[in-house]
Amino acid sequence: MSFEIKADGVDVQAVMTAIRKRIEEKRQGLYTEEEIREIAERRLDAVLDAHDFNPDFVKDFRTLPTRWNFAFHEDTLYESSRGFVGQLLRTLRRLLNPVQKLFWNPNPMIAALSRQSDLNAYYAHLLTNLAVEITKLNLELQDLKNRHLALQAKVELDARRERTLEEMVIYREEPEKKGADGA
Amino acid sequence: MKLGFVVQRYGLDIAGGAEYHCRLVAEHLARHAEVDVLTTCATDYVTWENHYPEGTQTLNGVPVQRFAVERPREIYRFAEWSRRIEGPHVEADELRWLEEEGPLSPRLVAEVERRRSAYDLLLFFSYRYYTTYHGLLAAPERAVLVPTAENDGIYRLSIFQAFFRMPRAIVWNSPEERDMIREATGNEAVPGEVVGVGSELPNRLDPDAFRRRRAIQGPFLLYIGRIDLNKGCDELFEFFQRYRDETGSALRLILMGKAVLGIPDDPAIVHLGFVSDQEKWDALAAAEALVIPSRYESLSMVTLEAWWARTPVLANARCEVLLGQCRRSNGGLYFAHYDEFREALATLEADAGLRRTLGENGRRYFDANYTWEIVERKYLDLLERLRAEDAGRARAS
Repeated sequence: MSFEIKADGVDVQAVMTAIRKRIEEKRQGLYTEEEIREIAERRLDAVLDAHDFNPDFVKDFRTLPTRWNFAFHEDTLYESSRGFVGQLLRTLRRLLNPVQKLFWNPNPMIAALSRQSDLNAYYAHLLTNLAVEITKLNLELQDLKNRHLALQAKVELDARRERTLEEMVIYREEPEKKGADGA
Repeated sequence: MKLGFVVQRYGLDIAGGAEYHCRLVAEHLARHAEVDVLTTCATDYVTWENHYPEGTQTLNGVPVQRFAVERPREIYRFAEWSRRIEGPHVEADELRWLEEEGPLSPRLVAEVERRRSAYDLLLFFSYRYYTTYHGLLAAPERAVLVPTAENDGIYRLSIFQAFFRMPRAIVWNSPEERDMIREATGNEAVPGEVVGVGSELPNRLDPDAFRRRRAIQGPFLLYIGRIDLNKGCDELFEFFQRYRDETGSALRLILMGKAVLGIPDDPAIVHLGFVSDQEKWDALAAAEALVIPSRYESLSMVTLEAWWARTPVLANARCEVLLGQCRRSNGGLYFAHYDEFREALATLEADAGLRRTLGENGRRYFDANYTWEIVERKYLDLLERLRAEDAGRARAS
């Protein structure tokens, strides 16, 4: 009775060879930058989603940083978005600036918020790059683990071969002894 | 023909493993021969505590004679002896290890010796237990061994070198098991047959019923068996979670069986515990694939059952038996490390045509090798051949 199924459509060994070739190609160049970024973003998604972040927020954070982050400079406090009236307002606020400074000094706040805005952009950039770097390291670690497993399998195979060879020597010696006794 | 089955445990409540295998074979051969079972009173394979009463009872039409275990296994002492035989040791240490392994039932062994001439042949299941080793030594001229050996290195102990050359014949679960033991013990002269075991098949498969009952939508990967380190489940969890993280797959992992390992708190991993046979079959039919992460398998009945249900498998390639089964059947893909797991699973998940073809190949493989008709015929042919040899020898003398 045959223990083999000859399939017309699929040869599992051929499928596995194709899979291994794909893996090898990825390993040779490891992963492209885009692939790594894609993997890193999936992981970031998983972390952020797990904490119930609004997914649109994450998207904006990545694609439109200006919409998410604030820009702050020394004129920001006096600006207005009301067109011509806004220009008048801005001029009036500037004129009243010395009076305002009698009550409080806005300069430290302007400096702090301006610096915070820069820091936010910097942190966002840093965290994204760290996620990418950690992903790269994880991939390298996994590659090393896989190589370790492959080496371990080879060592086990060698050990088995070694024992077989040792046993073959023992079996070969036995008939010779018997032959000598018989003679 | 009168046959005696010797096995370390036997009962309707013992699911899986060599004991279940033994019961199925005994019940099926009982249709063609007079069958007795000689076993212990134990049900627990860790402690071998006496559970059933001593004496004879009939289970599914097969008379079962039970003998008490003299002392239960002392786990720490057994672990100590297991460590000792890993290093430099003498044969007496191995025999002591075997005693600690158990189930220690000298009365069962004495009964085998006493009644050996009452049987045409005695079938011993699972080579690594006290009852099998000493029972077979008591009646080697009538012994047929079903080793159910895994690639765990135990078969390399020096006590098993001569042991594997003693039985009249050996019934192997797979060509890999046969080659592994032959390579280690040089027992090519012992006749044998690769047979395996059949399954109790359902009358129908209803994948929708499983999904409805368990409220499971979407594709899933199925694991059936003890959820244990020895079965490779820790690696399975790690690989599966990484796979989902990296690919964004919606695949879920459904686990069936007793958990002796912590299961990650992850909504994508669902543990159903013990399920009925029908539910198991329905789940097999509903799954995208069955995953078998174990490195140590002698046959894997659940793999064959998946193929009967036309479901492909994703198996651990470091288990030579599973690797050989997948290659011979063309019914499943395999992985030796994470990269292969990822790519093989992604391939299976993306390609429904491939899944269908692998499943069909698996079914053809099952039908060609593992129906009860075929399994029974192989056993009976082998046993008849041995009996004819005995008759010829008796006439000649």
